[in-house]
Amino acid sequence: MTDTVRRAATGGWSRLGGNARRVVYAFAGAVAIVVVGALVHPGFASWASLRGMLVLASFTGLVAAGQMFVVLVGGIDLSMPWVLNAAAILLTTTTLGQDSRTLWGLAVALGAGLAVGLANGLGVAWLGVSPVVMTLGMNGVLEGLSLGLSSGLTCGSCSSSAPPSVRAAVTGYLGGIPVDLLVWAGVAALLSVLLSLSTFGRRVYAVGNNPRAAFLAGISVRGVTVVLYMLSGLFAALAGVALVGYGGQPSLGLGDPYLFQSIAAVVVGGISILGGRGHYLGAVAGSVTLVAIVTLLQAERVPEYGRSIIYGLVILAILLAYGREQRDD
Amino acid sequence: MADPMADPMADQAVDPTAHRGARTGRRRQLPAPHTLLGYAVLAGTVAAYAGFYRHQLQHFPTPYDYTSVIDAALPLVFAAIGQSLVVLTGGIDLSVGGIMSLCVGLAALHLDGGPGGVAGWLVVVPLVGAVAGAVNGVLVARGRLAPILVTLATLSVYDGLALKVLPEPGGSVSARVTEVLANPNAPVGLAYVALAVAAWWVLRRTRFGMNVYALGSDEAAARAVGVPVDRVKVCVYAAAGLCYGLAALFYTATTTSGDPNAGNSYILTSIAAVVIGGIALAGGRGSAMGAVAGAFALTLVVDVLFFAGIDQQYEAFFQGLFLIVAVLLGSAVTLLARRRKGTS
Repeated sequence: MTDTVRRAATGGWSRLGGNARRVVYAFAGAVAIVVVGALVHPGFASWASLRGMLVLASFTGLVAAGQMFVVLVGGIDLSMPWVLNAAAILLTTTTLGQDSRTLWGLAVALGAGLAVGLANGLGVAWLGVSPVVMTLGMNGVLEGLSLGLSSGLTCGSCSSSAPPSVRAAVTGYLGGIPVDLLVWAGVAALLSVLLSLSTFGRRVYAVGNNPRAAFLAGISVRGVTVVLYMLSGLFAALAGVALVGYGGQPSLGLGDPYLFQSIAAVVVGGISILGGRGHYLGAVAGSVTLVAIVTLLQAERVPEYGRSIIYGLVILAILLAYGREQRDD
Repeated sequence: MADPMADPMADQAVDPTAHRGARTGRRRQLPAPHTLLGYAVLAGTVAAYAGFYRHQLQHFPTPYDYTSVIDAALPLVFAAIGQSLVVLTGGIDLSVGGIMSLCVGLAALHLDGGPGGVAGWLVVVPLVGAVAGAVNGVLVARGRLAPILVTLATLSVYDGLALKVLPEPGGSVSARVTEVLANPNAPVGLAYVALAVAAWWVLRRTRFGMNVYALGSDEAAARAVGVPVDRVKVCVYAAAGLCYGLAALFYTATTTSGDPNAGNSYILTSIAAVVIGGIALAGGRGSAMGAVAGAFALTLVVDVLFFAGIDQQYEAFFQGLFLIVAVLLGSAVTLLARRRKGTS
């Protein structure tokens, strides 16, 4: 049995070559968009402009982290929009905008994300519900609970805003760099270590590539799946906290754009929707690419309908460019 | 998308008899257990509706109530039929939202003029939907991309086109159109549902219908026995687009105006209706009639909550719970059926 495990592990190392290639492609794509932007729109690649784009990309990057975890095992998390929104509402309603309650608020918001992820994971791994159905239903459940329990965000504590410490952690600066970006860089480093260097990371790729083989190699496929859905919920909640720190107050529908963005960032980042292939650094590049495209189109004063059309066409073009590569390996 | 959780549990969710029946094309006497469950869920919802209605108003729902329920459900019914066609091939269509928004915009702009023009646009709008769907189909079949990704991208494109056609909510529909498509005083809605059922009944017995099931059950095998896989896929997505166009007509006739975001809510509800109707997301198993039942059940749940006196804010909560419970019931039924087969 240990021999099988070792062989699975060495298989993981050789595959990392493919993952590294995907990450390089994704970053090349992001750089290409920024270069094109700098050419057609002087000042697009200035530090101020890049900084603004990176901060926006960090929110997409956080939800994309969660989405990546479940996509790596061939799942999908459609409950992200309202996990994000619920976490944002929970943070402000438990902290009431007071710094002394920040830790408590963070614990409640992130704990809720973990709990939802646990429910999703148990439903998918133990009850055999398809990930699409489980997380789609969960999204509705959370939407209803968020609306109902806050009476449509009209409750007494609903008007409170994020505590100053959380706001400072998102919008503040440390040595000229937004703190939010430092946090994101930390998350990216942590996830890279987790995926590339830890046993857990090896198990994730093993389950994503072939659950049956992983099971026979002694990996608890269900356990790994549940943990991944919990991580997905955690990162969606973290994005909610970051967004409410950025904007000050939660709104209803805050998370709606982030479902499709998270999937798009993951896919543009070269992570296979079928599971087993890809790396978080790719999703980072994917998030930057998506935000850069939208920012460029806004800078060019392309009307909203044009932005939407071009956005879709660019994603299609990227998909077609990747398609061949995905078939080959 | 193909079922990615290929762990031991996932295999148990596949009913081997239903699968084999679909693949060999043997005609079954009874619908598959999952489709039956969709009907049972609908029957339960109707009973709950009538019960709570009587509790509130001291009498049972009148024919007028039922026709309004049917009219209100028609957009989702047709969106779900379209979605079910795609899901039967093992795909999923997120662009239903964009195609519906685009078609609603066109309908709201053009369905308020002379009778000749209106009649023309009643044909053109579904055709626009079909063309948009065919584009999805070509990308899925020829581009060999995952349906969920293709339709995610085209959703953005069609949403953009919808915004171009109708930048903000508005437009109008002549009273004649509403009378023909969604008349609350006559059971026209029922007639459209009957037409859809008849069309499905014929379709699934044609070569095309068999090919759809073959493709959804095992694409490689279907290709090997000579099913023109690419052509079938393009036709399925085009037919789905046609259904979304019809759904848009019913939507516009009921609301009598347009909204560039009209289709958004149908992305998730159409998938939910398909799942409640017992269609396997992995493809090849289920019936569009199940999706029709699922669509009615999902629409009725809202009325049930209303008559049960539950705060409307909780609507999404109960719809989500309804979806999960319905699917878990389906798994339980399958498990029980297997147990019984195992002992006999």
